[in-house]
Amino acid sequence: MHDNYERIAEQVLGRVQQRVRGQAEVFISDSQEMKVDVAEKKVENMLVAQERGLGLRVIAGQRLGYAFTSDLSNFALERVVEQAIYNAKESEPDSGWELPLPSGGYPVMKLYDDETFAVSVDEKIELARNIEESARAFDARVRITERSVYQEAKYRVSIFNSLGLNGSFLGSYCGGYAVVVGQENGDSQTGFGMQYDLKYKELNAQKIGREAAEKAVRMLGAQKIASAHLPVVLDPYTVTSFFSVLQTAFSAEAVMKGKSFFEGQEQKQVANPQVTIIDDGAMPYKLGSMPFDGEGMTTRQTVLIKDGWLQGFLHSNYTAKKFGVSSTGNGVRGSFKSTPEVGITNFYISEGTSTKEQIIKEITKGLYITDVMGMHTANPVSGDFSLGVSGLLIENGELTRPVKGIAVAGNLKELLMDIDAVGNQVVFYVTKGAPVLRIKALSISGD
Amino acid sequence: MDKKEINEILKVALRHGADFAELFWEHKETTAIGCEENRIERILSGIDEGAGIRVIYDSSSSYAYTNDVTTKRLLEVAELAGKAAQKRERFPESISFYTPKAALEFPVKIPPQDVKIEAKTKKVLAANNAARQVDKRIRQVSVGYQDVRQNVTIANSEGVFVEDLRTRTRLSVNAVATENSIVQTGYNSAGGVMGFEFFDENDPETIGENAAKRAVLMLSAQNAPTGRMPVVMASLAGGTMIHEACGHGLEADLVQKKLSVYANKIGEQVASQLVTVIDDGLIPGKYGSFRYDDEGCPAQKTTLIEKGILKEYMYDYQTATHENRKSTGNGRRESYHSRPLPRMRNTYIVPGTMNADGIVKEVKDGLLVMAMGGGQVNTTTGDYVFDVAEGYIIKDGEVQYPVRGATLTGNGPETLQLVEMIGSDFGYAIGVCGKAGQGVPVADAQPTIAVKELIVGGRGDSQKRDTKIRRL
Repeated sequence: MHDNYERIAEQVLGRVQQRVRGQAEVFISDSQEMKVDVAEKKVENMLVAQERGLGLRVIAGQRLGYAFTSDLSNFALERVVEQAIYNAKESEPDSGWELPLPSGGYPVMKLYDDETFAVSVDEKIELARNIEESARAFDARVRITERSVYQEAKYRVSIFNSLGLNGSFLGSYCGGYAVVVGQENGDSQTGFGMQYDLKYKELNAQKIGREAAEKAVRMLGAQKIASAHLPVVLDPYTVTSFFSVLQTAFSAEAVMKGKSFFEGQEQKQVANPQVTIIDDGAMPYKLGSMPFDGEGMTTRQTVLIKDGWLQGFLHSNYTAKKFGVSSTGNGVRGSFKSTPEVGITNFYISEGTSTKEQIIKEITKGLYITDVMGMHTANPVSGDFSLGVSGLLIENGELTRPVKGIAVAGNLKELLMDIDAVGNQVVFYVTKGAPVLRIKALSISGD
Repeated sequence: MDKKEINEILKVALRHGADFAELFWEHKETTAIGCEENRIERILSGIDEGAGIRVIYDSSSSYAYTNDVTTKRLLEVAELAGKAAQKRERFPESISFYTPKAALEFPVKIPPQDVKIEAKTKKVLAANNAARQVDKRIRQVSVGYQDVRQNVTIANSEGVFVEDLRTRTRLSVNAVATENSIVQTGYNSAGGVMGFEFFDENDPETIGENAAKRAVLMLSAQNAPTGRMPVVMASLAGGTMIHEACGHGLEADLVQKKLSVYANKIGEQVASQLVTVIDDGLIPGKYGSFRYDDEGCPAQKTTLIEKGILKEYMYDYQTATHENRKSTGNGRRESYHSRPLPRMRNTYIVPGTMNADGIVKEVKDGLLVMAMGGGQVNTTTGDYVFDVAEGYIIKDGEVQYPVRGATLTGNGPETLQLVEMIGSDFGYAIGVCGKAGQGVPVADAQPTIAVKELIVGGRGDSQKRDTKIRRL
């Protein structure tokens, strides 16, 4: 990883200033990744990657232009400057475009794990093998390994703007996952287990493998059930898969553009009083944490829903200006190829008071959902969803048999109000965390 | 990069002992324009250049990529990839390169880089204005334009050397309509392997209007029903169903790992006799077309299912080599970031002979799908879902009223056996297909078809209960 990025940024900012009056921002990322897939104890695929790139935001005459390049040669940098300026000229003016001022220092955060990169590649391959072995050992019906994976990455993010803002940090993560297939009487079912962490020594291969195996075998022999309106329990992973849709509703940009079902609902009750939802980019040891967001604003904790009441929205510098508030540090950047957009950091539903057992015990007939299909087809604007689901039937307070091939439909806005029990343990999947949730009832389509 | 340098890089990649080495170099330039709130909000342009080196030994592969594409760095990367797949010693001779002949050319009439941004923003604004004029209940319109020019060089240790330029253009419109507390959206998009001449055949106004009309229509729609019922899918709806119900399950990597319900079924009846399914990379201008795949293999037209009999899977180099056969030209990748995998191109059900209007007439109680959204499949079980973006209730052979909020669920092999009628019409839809984290542009198509029954996952009453209530 180069350390001449500051010099490159200065050059680029200087070239912009020579051509136009306005503000400019250079974002540079540099990352290295390693990933190894194991199946049947053999390394099937290994990936070694290195990527860096620069994105340039120019605001001239309140018009925004953006250009990026992975080529950091003089020639390419010159072109990026020209393109960003040209693109700004062709956009329409908007008073909201303004770059953040220097913040006067960022908090020091632990985002990098030396140990991850001190461990040998062979040991990491062994970790992937151990995940597989643990899955296979759990149950003889686990017969196919789709993949058992170890993955790690380190990255440096640097940001510089013409107002003097300047920040840089080094981060890393590591993790493993397995997808395995259980087979019995001609039926095949897949199961999935994963863990991602900042610290290498936290990785538990045994647990990842066991989780994948357990999920695969418990689904064997799954059948449809008849259409019904039933109480539903969502496991933590299923809850987090709803976040891709739910996060839109909390985006101030979506609110501004009439694309959030929380528009006009501030300081109103939007969820059951047991529900508290938080976004926190400064959470220690979590993978969505960073000292500053994709435009250099300091990250922080933002309580979005407190005891069922909507507290506010997530903001970038742009939306904050439009709303007359301060940014929540949620100007998130996917990569150097895109502009900062309102997004989530570490996003979770806080724990409640019930144990998973209690939550299930109170149901005479219901469905425990462990997997959903088609979440990307849900409508984030209206909150409507209709999903293929599988899981376990609940009868008289017990999980009885596996169920698949059915669909559930509902609306996310209504679902938040209909939550009637919240589990007492939050489970994080990478940057998203949730406890078990119980929903009063959902419409289930089956036979 | 010249052939001599590439030769050196491949030799370094092979020198730790390997069966195969490949270089994939890419230089991609994109322009993206976003319009929202009735104005051009964002214009992005970018350059992404990089190279990936793949080394295969036996059934192990290693892949290393970098976007520092100096020869020095590429030699280091080749060494890295070669070492990761190392086994037995091999000191390769120089490779004599040849370029296989493409089956078809896709000439680009107007390269997008020759078109001024103003001309592009004009098309975007035209789509925006047309959408907003559809109805005063249209609250928001988002228009996205993108053109991509991807230059690739693909060379491997078997001597394949291919240079290609792929040009793609697309336009998408998302409209939001509101009335009282109801919010609905409508989406429409079109795209092709074309330059700016894309707009000669694809009118931005029509794309905008279609999205807006759908959003407005859905405001007055009722909740879709719940339960099992006959489903008619109009040709206009495109082919998401066939993509999910059988396409993915016919990709050879999944088949070989026994992660597909279609594994070991070549020559068997896997669908109704009416069903013939083709995956074709050679349809001029279509979004999933290309001259060469991402391994340098010329694109082909591959018949997967013929009159219900499973004929062929989709192969890339590695899966084909595993079975000692030739690739079908389905080796695709999103970019130099990824190794290739067997992927679909333009996948479709071949039209039959029935009049499309006649098909609806045959259905007593059912659902008509006029537009499909996205979908997903678990190839191991064959269970799939797809979203109905525009649906109608059919009663006694007549189209009744629109419904919203439905996903259809089925099992691939079961659904294909239940195809009862196939129309003589034909319609396309485009999309970005995701697999193993890689997105590739695809198209899918079908005639109007009727499936005996699928599970409709709406929020409305179940049909059974509905009938009961009426009887009372």
